[in-house]
Amino acid sequence: MTPSSNLSLATNLRNASVLFSDLCLYQSAKWCIEALDGLQLDPQNPDSLAQARMDFYSQLGTETDKYLLGKMYFDTKEYDRCAYHLKDCKGSIPNFLRLYAQYMAGEKRREEEGQGVLASTDGVTTNNQLVSIIQECTKLLARFPQDPYLLYLYGVVMSKQNNYKEAIEVLVRSLVIQPYNWSCWMEILTCMSHIDGLDSIVKRLPKQLVTTKMFIVVCHQVFCQPLDLVQNFIEELETIFPQFHYLTIQKALLNYHNLGYAEAEQIFDHVINLDPHRLDDMDAYSNILYVMEKRSKLSFLAQLASCTDKFRPETCCIIANYYSLRTDHEKAITYYRRALTLNRNCLSAWTLMGHEFVELKNSHAAIESYRRAVDTNQNDYRAWYGLGQAYEVLDMHYYSLYYYQRATALKPMDPRMWQALSNCFEKLKRYDEAIKGYKRSLAVQDNDPTVFYRIAALYEKTGDQRMASKYMEACLGTELAEGVTDETAKARIWLARYEFDQGNFSSALRYAMEYTHGSPQDLEEARAIVKTIQEREAA
Amino acid sequence: MFPFFSCDSCLIALTPFIVWYSVFVYKKLNSRLYAYLRVYWIGKSTQSRTRIISQLLIAKMDKTNDMIRTPVIGNDTKDHQHVHLLNTKPPLLAGFRKKLSQSPRSSTLAISPAVHQYNSHGFDTDTSFESPVGGAPGGGDSLFMSPDRDSSSKSGSASKESGKQNISQAERLRLWRHDAYLQHHYKTAEFIGDKVLSLTKDPNDAFWLAQVHYSTGQYARARQLLSEDRLSESVSCRYLAALCLTKMERWEEALQLVGDSNPFTSSVFHSVKSQDHGIKLEASMCYLRGQIYSNQNCFDKARDCYREAVLVDPKCFEAFDELVSNHLLSPEEEWDLLTSLQFNELDDNADFVKSLYTIRISKYLHSDKITDAEALLAEDYSLDANGDILQSRADLLFLQCAFSECMAVCEKIMALDAYKLAALPNYVACLHELGGKNKLFLVAHQMADQHPDEPVTWLSVAMYYLSTNRISLARRYFSKASMMSPNFVQAWIGFAHTFAIEGEHEQAISAYSTAARLFLGSHLPSLYLGMQHLHLNNFNLAEEYLESSFNICKSDPLLLNEIGVTHYHKSNFSRAEAFFLDALRASEVIKSEPQAWLSIHANLGHVYRRTRQFAKSLEHFEDVLCSNPTDHNVQSAVGLVHLQMGNISEAINYFHKALSIVPADPVATDLLGRAMEENVKRGIGVLAPSSPDVSRINTSNIIIPGGTPKPLVFPDPDAPSSPSMFYNDDSHASMDISE
Repeated sequence: MTPSSNLSLATNLRNASVLFSDLCLYQSAKWCIEALDGLQLDPQNPDSLAQARMDFYSQLGTETDKYLLGKMYFDTKEYDRCAYHLKDCKGSIPNFLRLYAQYMAGEKRREEEGQGVLASTDGVTTNNQLVSIIQECTKLLARFPQDPYLLYLYGVVMSKQNNYKEAIEVLVRSLVIQPYNWSCWMEILTCMSHIDGLDSIVKRLPKQLVTTKMFIVVCHQVFCQPLDLVQNFIEELETIFPQFHYLTIQKALLNYHNLGYAEAEQIFDHVINLDPHRLDDMDAYSNILYVMEKRSKLSFLAQLASCTDKFRPETCCIIANYYSLRTDHEKAITYYRRALTLNRNCLSAWTLMGHEFVELKNSHAAIESYRRAVDTNQNDYRAWYGLGQAYEVLDMHYYSLYYYQRATALKPMDPRMWQALSNCFEKLKRYDEAIKGYKRSLAVQDNDPTVFYRIAALYEKTGDQRMASKYMEACLGTELAEGVTDETAKARIWLARYEFDQGNFSSALRYAMEYTHGSPQDLEEARAIVKTIQEREAA
Repeated sequence: MFPFFSCDSCLIALTPFIVWYSVFVYKKLNSRLYAYLRVYWIGKSTQSRTRIISQLLIAKMDKTNDMIRTPVIGNDTKDHQHVHLLNTKPPLLAGFRKKLSQSPRSSTLAISPAVHQYNSHGFDTDTSFESPVGGAPGGGDSLFMSPDRDSSSKSGSASKESGKQNISQAERLRLWRHDAYLQHHYKTAEFIGDKVLSLTKDPNDAFWLAQVHYSTGQYARARQLLSEDRLSESVSCRYLAALCLTKMERWEEALQLVGDSNPFTSSVFHSVKSQDHGIKLEASMCYLRGQIYSNQNCFDKARDCYREAVLVDPKCFEAFDELVSNHLLSPEEEWDLLTSLQFNELDDNADFVKSLYTIRISKYLHSDKITDAEALLAEDYSLDANGDILQSRADLLFLQCAFSECMAVCEKIMALDAYKLAALPNYVACLHELGGKNKLFLVAHQMADQHPDEPVTWLSVAMYYLSTNRISLARRYFSKASMMSPNFVQAWIGFAHTFAIEGEHEQAISAYSTAARLFLGSHLPSLYLGMQHLHLNNFNLAEEYLESSFNICKSDPLLLNEIGVTHYHKSNFSRAEAFFLDALRASEVIKSEPQAWLSIHANLGHVYRRTRQFAKSLEHFEDVLCSNPTDHNVQSAVGLVHLQMGNISEAINYFHKALSIVPADPVATDLLGRAMEENVKRGIGVLAPSSPDVSRINTSNIIIPGGTPKPLVFPDPDAPSSPSMFYNDDSHASMDISE
């Protein structure tokens, strides 16, 4: 990146940010201006800012005053009033704000009408404005086919109606025109069900844009992809944005998903030092600390967050994590509920609350919360996995299997998923499938004695003694690396028995002799085998 | 001048139309006058209304004078002169009139149109009232007579040459009587009229006295007066006498008086143009006959009489209104009637009135012509802000299910004229549709306070209860409204709906049957009857009713949809598909909101599912889900299609969605269980959406053959079953109500 291109990027980001805040798209505006700050440029005079704003307002023309009125009502959160006062405007911008306000009003009402988290009507109440917004948007788009904001709004509404294909289509069209609208990128992300969709989306957008690259990185983060796939992009972006916390946190999260907890922790510490009052994504940090069981650090983070803002969903999640670590599950649930009351779409809270319910052995509540989690974001493998577990507890293996399948589809490189899946098939007496599943697990991680043992046991059940013995041997083979475990011991006694039955007394004797750990009966049996063989040899 | 007032006899009955009609015409002429009228008409006092009528009459004379130029009256040279005279003086007259109307010392006589004659001829028309006795058959004439037809005058008591000093004593009394009559001083009118009659023994005076009696509600007395032999030959007297009898509800006698069929049908007068721009008495008689039949429950005969009345004279709006607003004719018959009306009688008003009539009739057919008519009225006559034009627009919007627009139009109408109750049925139906319970409450209360005697008031009360789901109360008020006005179609159908909503099919059927008997031209009652039978799984009966409904109206999407559903239930999928497609087309023809007809798409989806055209099926279901993602039936249907296609994981996804909306839905639960079992059979391959194994899996074992007796599931509650949808789903429920 040359300095001059950096400057033009800065201009773009600055203008976009101001424009977004004029359009009440505050999250996008915030992202842009943070990115601008992350460029770490020398202080300078914004040259084209005035011009950009002038262009915006001249586009409004005679409707400027009405628009400002509407915007003011929007800013004071009087959404219905905003929509009412803009209803006669003709231009695309006031109409965008009107429909946007209508959408917000609908969301607000939905929140108010729902009877709280996990109540009977929870998740059923919908935003009743959506249909009329779609209708009007369609009409307006016929007049303004190139308005990126109307396209964005249309996409958001489509996505809320679960029409993801159409939504992505429209959102991409919006991004081609206005690539700096970060909320739009994020909306695409919620519409994607799999990382495979990424290519077809990126193909349609200019590759060289920082936002496209950033999106690729975030996408890999969200879908828990291996870190090295996007290493290049991260490095490239880091040279452009030396201090863009959003980017660094993506890096941390990628590390976290790839089990690099220490690196992730380090990066988060760094961010907190530079920006101590940043709460965005800090709930993810608290998850990391939870997994690492760093209780004191988690406590510090909880204090810091609650000093900054007690009523942010992130804060509540951090505190809940803290209580959960102290095994105070009731309190943890209270805080997750609070987080969800503040923001119903707070994804990790749903999943984590499900975990807490599992701890409390309340499977039904756990299922409810996991289900909400996947309703909010279908890409959360932990929630799918949790659903599988919860149904397994309830002995509903058909269901459980399906959820494990979903989880596995999202995270095929995780052996735990495959094992859970196979376990389920086993319970359903589908041994062939179970064996296949365990083998897939081995393909990911090849030295787990448990898996070898399970496969062998399954082969035994299907009557294939030869294959069973092969896998038992493989199980024993892991001893070199992992040391003796219960499974290897069991494999050994099994092999001793098997070889004995086959008449290979020498190998049977070897296995039986080596068998030193295990249950008293097995030890007894091993001794019996040794004794029998020795007697036979003596005879 | 007297003949002019004869118009009043009709006025009593025709006021709504007169106002309606005249305001259109004269708005153009004199916007100030129009404004004046509006102000007074809104005011409730009858007195001010009379003033309005008088004003209108003045205006009407203006117009009449214009019209005289056309060779209506023929070659009477005097007319031409007269017109000429008048036309040279309008500014003067206008000034004169204005002054007079403002002076409290003048009577209504001074502002009456007769003033023209007064000015131009003096009082030469003093006794111009054509004797009811003397007039030949009189069938072709209205009571409203040309001012110039004084030649037949019998009394001849006044000199024609001289001015007002030469009026006879009797004439003065007559003037007195008429002015008292116009100013609603009925006692005076009666008192003086009685004396004039005694003095002159003139049959005209007897007629006028009878008019006075009629206006004061002394029908028996008027009848007695008119029953004298010498009066019984006159058509106008006979008409008035019959009118009195109907008021006394002596239907048989009235019918005897007007005859049970039109005696003038074959006479030459039938096609003769009305001479005086009034309404032909023959038409009024036909109309009266229709009323009598209608009260005797002979609706076919009544319908024929009304039709005859309009055919005889298109100016007989009362009859036209009866036909249209009571749905006595099917949409096609309405069009036939409209095209056969003799609008050319109206001369240069022909197009105008034709357009006015056009926008009143059913919107199912020829919507382009209706739009043209509306455009004509709006552009050429700048009537786009007139209540009736707006009303027509509201009707159309309602038919298109564009409820919020319709509501806006209704609100506009009521802003113009808060007492225009015709807008109310649409308005309350829209409020019901859009969930405006609160406004509905207010409207119903206002109506009950201000117009407790109007059936539409109780309709709105009933609609409020319907919206708040208090069905038995709603039923009570629908019933009240229909008691008050037996011809109130919305009330009848609403009444029947309350039974249907509660699942009381038998009672609903009997209520709909009554409606079907009352509203011959409306396809809705038989449509609903068909739907009820569909609901009871009487497919053959349902088909019969729907067919009879189809014979009346071929272009109602709801009807076509229901017929499709019947065929679906009979497993006749190709016909079902054809009807559903027709329904979609019909909904496009009336430019209906696509959202209103989602059930057609859902039904098409089911048809394609059963005929195993899965891609098409999904397409239609997705259309539905785009607009209404919370329809759990459709969600499960999509799941089933995916299941049949072998996309197990998609299927499970959709069943989950359905269950997240209605957690205990038995169909979705059952299907989900089956899908889960299938999923296990698939083994490990089904995983990711991107997994290539999916396509290879043999699906034959799970697919549900449409016809097999013991298929996988779907007890077909799935089935399009719009009837059930219909009652759960408000959007349809109201459609009927407003029709």
